[in-house]
Amino acid sequence: MTQEGYNPRILGFFCHWCCYAAADSAGVSRYQYPPNVRVIRVMCTGRIDVRFILEAFKCGADGVFTGG
Amino acid sequence: MSKAGAIMVLGGGIAGVQTALDLADLGYYVYLVEKKPYIGGVMAQLDKTFPTNDCAI
Amino acid sequence: MYCPRPIADVYNERLDITRATHIDFPQAIPTSYYIDPKACLRVNYQTCNLCAQTCTAGAIDFSQKPKNLKLKVGSVILAPGFGRVSHDVLEKFGYGRYPDVVTSYEFERLTCASGPTEGHLIRPSDHTTPKKIAFLQCIGSRDVTCDNGYCSSVCCMYAIKEASVAKEHEPDLDISLFFMDVRTQGKGFDAARKRAEEKYGFNVIRARVPKIDQIDSQLALTWTTDDGQSHSDLFDMVVLSVGLDAPEDAHAIADIAGIELNSYDFCKTSHGAPLSTTKKGVYVAGAFQGPKDIPESVTQASGVAAIASELLKEGRGTQTVTITYPEEDKALEEEEPRIGVFVCHCGVNIAGVVDVKAVRDYAASLPNVAYYEDTLYSCSQDALKAIAEKVKENRLNRVVIAACSPRTHEPLFQETLRSIGLNPALFEMANIRDQCAWVHAQEPEEATQKSKDLVRMAVAKARLLEPLAQPTVDVTPKALVLGGGAAGMTVALSIADQGFETILVEKSKELGGNLRKLTWTVDGQDARKILKDLIKKVEKHPKIDIMLEAELESTSGYVGNFTSTVSKGGKTEMVNHGVLVIATGGEEHKPKGYCYGESRQVVTQLELEQKIAKGKSAFKTTKNVVMIQCVGSRGEDLQHCSRLCCTQAVKNALKIKELKPETNVYIFYRDMRTYGFAEDLYREARQKGVIFLRYTPDQKPEVVKQGRGIKVNAYDRLLGEDISIPANLVVLSTGIAPGENENLSKLLKVPLTQEGFFLEAHAKLRPVEVAVDGIYLCGLAHGPKGLEEAVSQAKAAAAKAAIPLVKGKVAVEPIVSHIDKATCIGCGICATLCPFNAIQMVKDGKRKKAETITASCKGCGICASHCPVLAINMGGFTDEEIFAQIHAFSPEGCGEELEAEKK
Repeated sequence: MTQEGYNPRILGFFCHWCCYAAADSAGVSRYQYPPNVRVIRVMCTGRIDVRFILEAFKCGADGVFTGG
Repeated sequence: MSKAGAIMVLGGGIAGVQTALDLADLGYYVYLVEKKPYIGGVMAQLDKTFPTNDCAI
Repeated sequence: MYCPRPIADVYNERLDITRATHIDFPQAIPTSYYIDPKACLRVNYQTCNLCAQTCTAGAIDFSQKPKNLKLKVGSVILAPGFGRVSHDVLEKFGYGRYPDVVTSYEFERLTCASGPTEGHLIRPSDHTTPKKIAFLQCIGSRDVTCDNGYCSSVCCMYAIKEASVAKEHEPDLDISLFFMDVRTQGKGFDAARKRAEEKYGFNVIRARVPKIDQIDSQLALTWTTDDGQSHSDLFDMVVLSVGLDAPEDAHAIADIAGIELNSYDFCKTSHGAPLSTTKKGVYVAGAFQGPKDIPESVTQASGVAAIASELLKEGRGTQTVTITYPEEDKALEEEEPRIGVFVCHCGVNIAGVVDVKAVRDYAASLPNVAYYEDTLYSCSQDALKAIAEKVKENRLNRVVIAACSPRTHEPLFQETLRSIGLNPALFEMANIRDQCAWVHAQEPEEATQKSKDLVRMAVAKARLLEPLAQPTVDVTPKALVLGGGAAGMTVALSIADQGFETILVEKSKELGGNLRKLTWTVDGQDARKILKDLIKKVEKHPKIDIMLEAELESTSGYVGNFTSTVSKGGKTEMVNHGVLVIATGGEEHKPKGYCYGESRQVVTQLELEQKIAKGKSAFKTTKNVVMIQCVGSRGEDLQHCSRLCCTQAVKNALKIKELKPETNVYIFYRDMRTYGFAEDLYREARQKGVIFLRYTPDQKPEVVKQGRGIKVNAYDRLLGEDISIPANLVVLSTGIAPGENENLSKLLKVPLTQEGFFLEAHAKLRPVEVAVDGIYLCGLAHGPKGLEEAVSQAKAAAAKAAIPLVKGKVAVEPIVSHIDKATCIGCGICATLCPFNAIQMVKDGKRKKAETITASCKGCGICASHCPVLAINMGGFTDEEIFAQIHAFSPEGCGEELEAEKK
């Protein structure tokens, strides 16, 4: 992505039990992926309020990723 | 003679690990003995489990 | 990384290469490198030493020597698992000679995304993708030629699983599975098998393939089906579904522990006491007790814990370690946030990619950061001590550690905070290793920037962190057990033997349940004696209060504090209890058709058992006995397989043969599911002349009346023609139907399966717990099973139920939801959405208000995100904290919100 000039800023909401754990596993396995995501850990994606997503866009996010 | 409060569990596969966890929860000191450098036994080698194909690890 | 010694990767079934210094798999616990002493150059030749020199933490010490420890223990639990079927057996099927004949272990690794081929299914011979695969079952199982006469009980399931996974990888694969019998008798397994067969279109063939030949690059299989026809076909790859053998060192274990083995070198046990070895104080769980799959192993594991706990109750808590903490410094916590930021190098793990010092200096520029530092390994003992000192020295009241994952390390750092009088909730982590340095190894600049962003977000949250109370709830030290059958009595006895009062509620007028109808156990013990002994022990036990002809009316409360009303003879009684066990049983299914109820010569297996109990005279005029399996089960009236009927039929057939050897016994079956050691009975029955005839659901045997007698009409597959057997006695294997569970299910809010049995919390790992904390499950109420399994399960439920009773307190996670009563409008959305029944609506003046049952809350936050008036907040994950993180996501901040927040 970076090479092509488009460098989006993505905010991620990761569920503690699955997506956050998977992201840790990706690290342990040394999988490589683009460094565009910043992560907020929540205990469950059920915690995610629509207001959080809107706020993220308001704060300059080009994309919001929720994983659970 | 007072009874011991410690128990030895031989084998760190799914059965041994579960026994150790429950014994610790029941107030006993547990020695978990395993040959391999990791716990989990054969289950740690499985990719998925039947029938839900949940990840075994 | 520096280890120069390559070795075969045993974890990956030698399909890959690793080094003498390695971690077997990323999730391994402990996640530390292991040096294989057999391969290490330093250990064997005193050369190399490269790893010790390069380890910056100095964690490798070759001067360590093995030590012998002498430990004093009150009990020994044997759980060594199972061994592998010998190479000789595999060689009979060309393994080792033909590269594309692989074991199921190898196939498992070949289809695993983290395996040697990253989940790409390839043929070992030429690395091409196979198009046609055959699975051969019963390799090293049900095979007396290799001394493994038993059924391994797991291979049918894993073969279907591996075949399904393979189809997911390669949808065009053509897969044939060769079964002798399809033995998917586990709870929900038959339905899963059917779904898989339909979804993936497997060719299910009932035949045993005797051997394999290689023709050019393909493998030739020849087999005979039960209609006498011979077939052959070519495959690209053959998977050998190898069975479970006794552990290789079974004899050594037996000698050391002083226990006896059975004829197959598994641990010797009995059906009435399945977890006890021949030596008191030594118990067994898992596959060493007999081949079994994960849920049964987990069940036995918990069960054996209960037995040890009964034995050693006086020693309980005498050797455990309790940690004490200093008082919390409330004044310091209330001061303006003074945040300490510690950025970890994790050796080269983080610092090799991320500019740690730049991140540390960046942290210094953030608001409220009063102290900052970088540490080499922040989780090492000395670093933790240093962090604690810095926190005290600088009167810090919030701590941010930028290092690895909070999933693994948060408790460790929180412990450090507690040890110096700070609330553990005043802590936040930035994951700059697992989710940054490790995954952006080639982009150091971006990784450093990401680390700074993550630290900024963590600091923003840390500024708003509040200390959280760590509430505990007292537990009423009493158990309520529903059901007085074998399972219920075993549970009650175990809990009482562990030292707790137990109330046993039985709806009929006597104890015993279905066990009253059994005469012998499968392993030939006197079932009536087992029953008598059990009842005597229960009745005599001072801690067991038996309530007969009683039923549960209502239950309220939560784990540790339940209140139930039990009705007995028109009167109701209130009981307080900390835990509840469902052991309400099931019943023998009463079928329609098959002339059942119309002719006295048509009976069920349990009715037959009563007849056998009367002795030889009951069979004076009996010449022909015909048994029909799966009457009711597997799709007739009941969808499920009842698991025990095949073994029960064979057991009874053998009894008839024993009483009157000249009797002809025919058994019509679909798949004989005599799993485990019961396979021996099946073989014995064949040897003694019991005639087994397979039928398919579209050609079921019919029972018809003929004058005063009856006959069975059926299709004989081998002869290829219809047959008619005049019978003196027709015995129907009718299976197990669930009891009347709907009411209890509603009462306790414990869900049922489609078949009407109670649903466990997790099919594999939490087999005796249910969705509601403090309620446990065992026996036929969980699903059909024989006595041996019911007893193990009852013991397991007793262990799980005793845990809160032993602890005396239930700890409540501080991350639970908090409802602001003043704001709550009582709409009830949260209570409906809560997956854990952790919100109740309570009267507050005229209106209803929501209230969190903190002991049941898991902190998921669904309630908070759906509350229309924002009355709910989550401990450690408040709206304000998450908004602060979102605002800090942008390096420039979100101006107006930042201002608003400060106000």
